[in-house]
Amino acid sequence: MDRSEATVTTLGEMSSTRRRWPLAALAVSAGTFLASCASNAPQDYFDPAGPNAEKIDTLQRPVFYIAGVVALIVIGAVGYIVFKFKDRGQDIPEQSHGNPKLEIALTILPAIILAGIAVPTVVTVFDLNKQDDTECIINVTGQQWWWEYDYATGECGGVEISQPIVTSGELVIPADTPVLLRVTSRDVIHSYWIPRLNGKRDAVPGRLHTLRMQADEPGIYTGQCTEFCGLSHARMRQAAVALNQADFQTWVDNQLEPYTAPEAGTLAATGEQTFIANCSKCHQVNGIANADGTPVLSDPDLYVVSGVAPNITNLMTRTAIAGWTFDLINEECRDALWTASPDEFGAMYLAGVTPDCFDEAALRDWLRNPPGMKPMYVDPNNLDSTGGKYRGMPMLNLNENQIDELVAYLLERK
Amino acid sequence: MFTTGSKLLLGATVLSVVGAIAFGVTTGGPAGVLGTIGLVSLASVFGFLAGINLYTRDGNVAALEPGVERTSAAAQPPVGRSLWPIVGAVGVGGLAVGAVSQPVVFKVSLIVVLATVVEWMIQGWSERASADRAYNEGIRRRLLHPLEFPIVGALIGAAVVYAFSRIMLSISKDAGRWVFIILGTIIVAIGFLFAAKRGLSKGTAAGIVAVGALALVGVGVASAVSGQRTIEEHPHISTAVCLGTATEAETEEIDDKASQDVAAKSNVISNVELTEDGRLVAFNLGTADTEYHEITVPRSTTVHVLFTNKTEEPRRLTVHLGTFPAADGTAGSEQADCTTAVNQDGVAFLTFRLDKSQAASTTPYRLTVPGVEGQEISLVVP
Repeated sequence: MDRSEATVTTLGEMSSTRRRWPLAALAVSAGTFLASCASNAPQDYFDPAGPNAEKIDTLQRPVFYIAGVVALIVIGAVGYIVFKFKDRGQDIPEQSHGNPKLEIALTILPAIILAGIAVPTVVTVFDLNKQDDTECIINVTGQQWWWEYDYATGECGGVEISQPIVTSGELVIPADTPVLLRVTSRDVIHSYWIPRLNGKRDAVPGRLHTLRMQADEPGIYTGQCTEFCGLSHARMRQAAVALNQADFQTWVDNQLEPYTAPEAGTLAATGEQTFIANCSKCHQVNGIANADGTPVLSDPDLYVVSGVAPNITNLMTRTAIAGWTFDLINEECRDALWTASPDEFGAMYLAGVTPDCFDEAALRDWLRNPPGMKPMYVDPNNLDSTGGKYRGMPMLNLNENQIDELVAYLLERK
Repeated sequence: MFTTGSKLLLGATVLSVVGAIAFGVTTGGPAGVLGTIGLVSLASVFGFLAGINLYTRDGNVAALEPGVERTSAAAQPPVGRSLWPIVGAVGVGGLAVGAVSQPVVFKVSLIVVLATVVEWMIQGWSERASADRAYNEGIRRRLLHPLEFPIVGALIGAAVVYAFSRIMLSISKDAGRWVFIILGTIIVAIGFLFAAKRGLSKGTAAGIVAVGALALVGVGVASAVSGQRTIEEHPHISTAVCLGTATEAETEEIDDKASQDVAAKSNVISNVELTEDGRLVAFNLGTADTEYHEITVPRSTTVHVLFTNKTEEPRRLTVHLGTFPAADGTAGSEQADCTTAVNQDGVAFLTFRLDKSQAASTTPYRLTVPGVEGQEISLVVP
C-alpha cells in the first residue's frame, strides 16, 4: 500500500467516525427522551397529587416550555451556524462588529422573560410558605439513614391524637388536609422530598424548617432523601401515605392501642424475650415489659450517633423497613397496593403485613446481616471517631432460631 | 567528580534518611507515622534533586571552553556574607535544648533549622546562578521575597497581638481602659505628627516606630512573665437558679444586663408566652392563634423555644430536664436549664435537648416560670 492509498484509507475512517457521531448523539437523545415515557415513575414531579405540588407544577411547566423553546432556538442557531459556515475552503464571510439594535433587543428580551418568570415564582414561593390553615403538625426528623415521624398530640385533620405516635419510613397523613411538617435532623444535613406532594426541604441539625404537605386523594407517594448524607444516602427513602379521615382515625386508634404481649408458650413469646435481650437497647416497642412488670425502655442515645433507632411498636403496619428500603410485603401485594384506587387503598393499607403478603425473606436477611444489606458505619473495631457509637444497625450475630423467634414476634407488631 | 551542589543534596538525602529512621524508631503513634512519612518524603525530594544535579553535572560548563575558569557561574565569588550558619547553629542548639525541655522550643527550633536550610541553599545557589552579580542578587530577591515578606509580616503581627494580649491579661480591667485610651491617644498623636511634619526624615520615623515596637514587645514580655491577673469567677445559670432556689445575690449578677432581645427568631419549635394575666401558653408555627399547653418534642433533637414575657415582673423560663438515677444507683436530682430574667416585652431563647423518653424520667419534662404558680407547659417526648 503506497502513501496515497494509506491517506485515502485514513480519510475514509475519519469520515466513517464523523458519520457515527450524529448517530450516537441521536441515540443518546432518543434514549433520554424515551426514558421520560416510563409508566412506572412514582416520583414523577410532573404528576402532582396535591395543591402544593400543583402550584409548583403550574409554575414549572411554563418555565420548562419557555426554557425549552429558548434552548431549541439557541441549539438550532448554533447548529445552523456550525453547518453553514463550516470550513469548506471558502472565503471567510464578511466580518462585522457591533449591532446596537440587535444587542439591545437581545438584552431586553431575556430581561423581560426573566421578569415574567420571576413574578409567578415569587408568588408561588410565598404561597407555598403559607401556614395559617394548618390542620395537623408532624415532626419529621432525619438521621443516617431513615426518617422518623413524631405526631404531636392534639388534633390532626379532625382526628384527636391523645398520645404521641412515633413511626418511621411512612408518613401517614389525612388526605385533603393541610399538614405542616417540622423538618430537622439529628446528625448531618438531609433533605425531605415527596415529589408528587411538594418540593424538597433541607433537614439541618439545630434548625427547624417547615414544609406543607397535602394529598388530594388516598394513596402512597414515594420520595427520597435528596441531600447526600453519607454511605447509605441512596437507601434513605420515604413515603407519604394519605388516608381518608375515617381510615386515618382507624390508623391512629391502632397506633395508640395498648401493647399486647404474645400468648405464653408461643414462638412469638420466646421472640419477645429475644427482642428484649438483643434489640431493646435501641429499638422501642411501647408497652413492652420485663417479667417483673418494669417497662423496657430503650437507650439509643447510648449506642447510636443520632441518639435514636426506629420505634417498631407497630412495625407490621408499615410496608417497608430499614429506611423504607426493603419491602415487608411481596411484589404482588406491593403492586396491588400502589395501584389501588383511592376508594380501595385505605382498607388495603390498614390491613398491614398479612401472612399472604409478608416478604419474610427480606426481614430474615435484614436480621441476619444488616450491614450486608445496607452499608453503614457499624464496624465495632472502627468506632473511635464516634466514641463507640454506631451509625446504623450493627451485626447482632443472631442464629437462625433467634431469627425465627424474632420474626414470629415482630409479625404480631400490628 | 561530585560537584558542590551534588554533595549538598546527597548529604541532605542521607541526613533525611537517617532522620527518618531515627524518628520512626524513637517515636510511636500517629505522630511517629506522620513524621516518618514527612522525613521519607523529604529524603525522596532531596534524592531526586541530587539525581538531577548529578545528571546535569551541576550546570557546569564544558571544561574545555576558553576562559571558563573566570567566566563560568561556578567560578564567581560569593556576593555577600551569610548569617545563616549562625542562625542554623542557634536552631540546632534549640533542637537539643527543646528535646530535653519544652516541646514548643523544639518545634520553633525545627522551624528555624528548616528556614535556614531553605534560605542558605537558595542563597548559595543564587550567588553562583550566573556570571552576572547584579542578576544573582535580583534572582534571590525574586525567589524569596514573596515567601519572606508575608511570613515576616505575620510574625510581626503575631508578636504585636501576643504582646497586647499579655498586657491586657496582666493589668486590671479598670487600669486596662485607661492604659489603652492613653496608648491609643499617643499612637494617634504620633501619626498626626508624622502627617503634619513633612520634613521628618525617614530615619527619625523608623526610629520612633522601632522604639515603640521594642517598648511594646518589652512590656509584653514583662507582662507574660508577671502572669495573668486573677480572673474573677462569675456565677452562671445553674439548676438552682432555674428552679428558683438560688439566692438573690446569685441570680442578680446573672440577670444584670441580660439581653432582652433575640436576633434570630426562626427555627423555634414553639413560641412560649407569659401573658399579661400570668398564663403560660405556647403557640406553634402554622397554628398561630391556638394556645397549647403541651409541646411534642422529638427525642435526642436540639430544639429552641422563644420566650416572651408580657408581665411587669422580670421572669425566666425554665425547662425541667427530668430526674434520672445517678451512676451510683441513688435517685438522682432534677436537672433544669433556663433563660436569664426577661423584662416586660423582652424575649429570650431557650435551647435544650431531651435524650430519654419521658417514661425514663421520674419527674415530668415541662416548662415553667419560677414564681408563677400553677402554670406549666408539658413537654411530651415519645
